[in-house]
Amino acid sequence: MNDLRLLLEGTVILGTPLILAAIGGYFSERSGVINIALEGKMLIATITVWLVTIATGQPVIGVAAGISASILFSMFHWLLTQRYSLDPIVSGMAINAIAFGAANFLDKRFTDPDQAGFPKLPLMAFWVFALMLPFLVWLYVRHTRGGLRLLAVGSDPDKARQMGVFPQRTRFMALIATGVLCGLAGALIVSNAGSYVDNMTAGRGFIALAALILGGWRPLPTLAACIAFGFFYQLQIQLQGTQVLGISAPRELWLCLPYIATLVALAGLLGRNRTPAGLGKP
Amino acid sequence: MSLAVQMRGIGKSFGAVRALDDVHLEVEAGTIHALVGENGAGKTTLMRILYGAIHATDGTFEVKGQPAKFRNSAGAIRAGIGMVSQHYSIIPDLTCLDNLMLGAEPGWTIDKRAAEQRATELAQRMGFEFDWSAEASTLSPAGAQKLEILKLLWRKAEIMILDEPTAMLSPADSDALYGSLKQLVADGATVIVVTHRLPEVMQHCRDVTVLRGGKFITAKPVAETNPAELAELIVGHAMPPPSVRSVPDNAEDLLRVVNLTVAGHRGDDAVKSATFSLHKGEVVGIAGVDGSGQRELFQALMGTSKLRHGELILGNWSLHEHSIAERLRMGLRLIPEDRHEEGVVEVWSLELNAALGLQRFPPLAVGTIVNDEARHQAANEMARRFNTKHGGIRQPMASLSGGNQQRFVAGRALFLTPRLILAFQPARGLDIDATRHVYEGIYEECEKGAGALVVSFDLDELLQFCDRIIVMNGGVVTQPNSRDRAVIGRHMVGVAS
Repeated sequence: MNDLRLLLEGTVILGTPLILAAIGGYFSERSGVINIALEGKMLIATITVWLVTIATGQPVIGVAAGISASILFSMFHWLLTQRYSLDPIVSGMAINAIAFGAANFLDKRFTDPDQAGFPKLPLMAFWVFALMLPFLVWLYVRHTRGGLRLLAVGSDPDKARQMGVFPQRTRFMALIATGVLCGLAGALIVSNAGSYVDNMTAGRGFIALAALILGGWRPLPTLAACIAFGFFYQLQIQLQGTQVLGISAPRELWLCLPYIATLVALAGLLGRNRTPAGLGKP
Repeated sequence: MSLAVQMRGIGKSFGAVRALDDVHLEVEAGTIHALVGENGAGKTTLMRILYGAIHATDGTFEVKGQPAKFRNSAGAIRAGIGMVSQHYSIIPDLTCLDNLMLGAEPGWTIDKRAAEQRATELAQRMGFEFDWSAEASTLSPAGAQKLEILKLLWRKAEIMILDEPTAMLSPADSDALYGSLKQLVADGATVIVVTHRLPEVMQHCRDVTVLRGGKFITAKPVAETNPAELAELIVGHAMPPPSVRSVPDNAEDLLRVVNLTVAGHRGDDAVKSATFSLHKGEVVGIAGVDGSGQRELFQALMGTSKLRHGELILGNWSLHEHSIAERLRMGLRLIPEDRHEEGVVEVWSLELNAALGLQRFPPLAVGTIVNDEARHQAANEMARRFNTKHGGIRQPMASLSGGNQQRFVAGRALFLTPRLILAFQPARGLDIDATRHVYEGIYEECEKGAGALVVSFDLDELLQFCDRIIVMNGGVVTQPNSRDRAVIGRHMVGVAS
């Protein structure tokens, strides 16, 4: 019974940052902007939340600062890809690299080794928000002007322009949303851990992107992909070192489980994926 | 009568190119006005200026008596102008309803039920029917055209610009479209139709304005002119009589397509058990609305897609058992549908493009070595064949206009003794003279023993230039026993008895 509770809790703890980041990626990619920089945005948010919260003692200000940093990086991506027509993959890699270096530097320079404890964030509120978010987004794209224009611009920016929509404006708003959600995801990660460690997002931005692609760029299947990943990740943590069916598998094999299981579970369930037709189009 | 649109002294330059020069247009309210001219005459440019999509270099215009200067299309839409461009602005991934609303949504939030109700009312007024929640990718060309018109009505457009609205439609659908337009005009709308099809102008429009080479030629009531005069005004000289061709009777088969089935991109059968043959020396036109399987048929012939079953026999060869390279060696030549995607590499020079597809064959290659000298000559010859205007064959392809690229691609397809010429919309972007030259070039090769299959969505073009016409509808090939426009039209929509 205790194991089951642990499993559920672990699924939520591991799954929710992924949901936030993946839905963040949803806005960017649905508007047609390829975004491999979810990782960098999350990372810059974690260090900012950590340092500002400790400096001010106010978690609200810390989270706000983290989100701002993430938005700033997101805007940088918009500027490079939309205004200066840089390849979005190159821009994304640059942002990841800058975020990685900046986070490392800020950590080394400003973290006080003797600092007092990190104030807890209202985790429950984060969890509820993250789990509801895909449903809200689903309603948003179906029932609002902004949602319709988001899909239209991501599908065919030229035709959308002919209909009086401004693709760059739509993408600007979409990338702000991406920044906000990646910022929240970063805040949640640092809060879950209770302290900052070097490179603490550990590739979860890429996992979120994979979940988004696996979910066919649709919010609800993406939610399923994130939860499945969280579930199997927690499962392998709990199964590590135990014997299953009389076999004790090496740790490395267990570490593969979440990736393989998520892929298999979803590949069959989700059917045909459809990439947004205008993805990467200027 | 009041004028809905009055444009005066409009000029437009793109760099050094003068696309429009001192053009006038006066459109009376409540009429259908035809704007005619050849490809490149500036019709679309003029209409895009009226629609606010581009800005005129010189001149002014008034809309409903008010001086107008639109910063962008949104401004023109607010002034009651709507435009349906030649390539529809329907986004296939969105539903029909979403497409209808895009850019003119009822508010921040969208009440789908209310929107659908209003959409249905609009559709009923025009006698259309739509499944609003279906994806727009499921629409036929005629359905898409109807949706475009409803989009204008949704935006409460009073002045509607339609650019080549019947280019993709079957004759019956074209007539239905003009029926709808007349109904709109009766309700007080003003319609400007950009077209190159003179029968439509004569039959359905009240006034006509002619442009040629970016200049205003004349404007007159349709009742005071006739097709021959209009054709002469458009081209600028008298039309020579159509060249007479004699096709050898009972010539042997060059190509036999037997029971051919090809998969479409959705996994369904795009070509269904097609059987037909092409004789030596013959030019066969394939009529049909866009998406009837012509594309997949050509892909199967070229070898870019696999057959589900069936046979393709060229002479004594089983074409389908050979690679694309071998088919090219046998003399298959393609004028592709989309020259940007499939025909040329735009950043390459004309000289490099000249060898595309022919790079393995002498004289362009000597063994595995490229013969630069021969390629240089070949490029010059290809450019000369249909008078491609270029600034030197070492210039990049992108420096040519679309029509000139098409001439070059056609020239390449007729190079090195072709045996089977596959031409997909060969006249795309060409003016009347160039179209005739290209077909004459094809005839010349046919007299030497080649054969040609021509796909066009313009039935009149096929009727004018092809020896025989077969029809594709929904992947099925039928062979009408008459050259009557109406008979072929019925085959195109699958209601032939």
